[in-house]
Amino acid sequence: MSIELRIILLVGLLALVVAVGAIWKAKTGTAKKIQDGEYVDLKELGAVKNGQPVTDLTTKVTFLQFSTDFCTFCGPTAKMLQALEVADPNVTHLEVNVTDRLDLVNKYNIMQTPTTLVLDRKGRIQSRIGGTPKAHTLVTEIGNFDI
Amino acid sequence: MATQIDPRGPRFGAAIINVLSIIIFVIALDPATEGLAFNLLVIAVASFAIGTFFGNTKHPFGWLFRKFVKPRLSAPKELEDSRPPQFAQGVGLFVSLIGVVLHLAGVTYGVAIAAGALIGASTLQAYFAYCLGCQMYLGLKRIGVIRSA
Repeated sequence: MSIELRIILLVGLLALVVAVGAIWKAKTGTAKKIQDGEYVDLKELGAVKNGQPVTDLTTKVTFLQFSTDFCTFCGPTAKMLQALEVADPNVTHLEVNVTDRLDLVNKYNIMQTPTTLVLDRKGRIQSRIGGTPKAHTLVTEIGNFDI
Repeated sequence: MATQIDPRGPRFGAAIINVLSIIIFVIALDPATEGLAFNLLVIAVASFAIGTFFGNTKHPFGWLFRKFVKPRLSAPKELEDSRPPQFAQGVGLFVSLIGVVLHLAGVTYGVAIAAGALIGASTLQAYFAYCLGCQMYLGLKRIGVIRSA
């Protein structure tokens, strides 16, 4: 193979990868609206908050974050959502580790962590955020609840 | 308990792998230099093996990062769990080993195919902070490739 052709192949490959990276960067952390979302089964979910099992949702907005042990941005995401919870009494942050909960991974079709589901007070899924949420995404999501 | 590491360490390592895999890719496509490309791929295999079994902190790239790069950078904004990048090293090991096997099986451009895949993953990791290997964890688990630790 000539050196010209090899360089063209390399540049083509790099262009493709950079395009993938740029698209990922733009898409990750943005919210996808869920029409007719299902209700989250809290009992099955088994979320724990302050050492207590979560049996009902008490705020207008709940950010339900799914994490695994093998997750680079789960920690920073949890920190960000906790800060929102502290700043806004209408917001609750729940985190569930799904490393050993393949049932939940399959049920909620989780392909990456963190994945954050935005729930209303009744536990109905309103939107879904894949990856580290962008700050403005979260502000918009809370705004959608007309508080 | 998992250790916390500077997330820029694995990205520095990925940048080195990125340059190495670009070299491998270009020379692997010429039959005259394919043997050299294969030897370089074996070095990549060794690098991934160290990363997989001993982790980033004990890896030579990790040492280079702490010794020469980190002192020139500002303090990290946040630390990351050492396990995801270590898992990703295992994915890199798997991919580079496939290249070795393809080459030994006599597949034309087997080394180049593996190098191409490594270029993709290391570019995303080094320049976009997007860890493809980490991302694959749940997907691999869902299709049953990996079981619970």
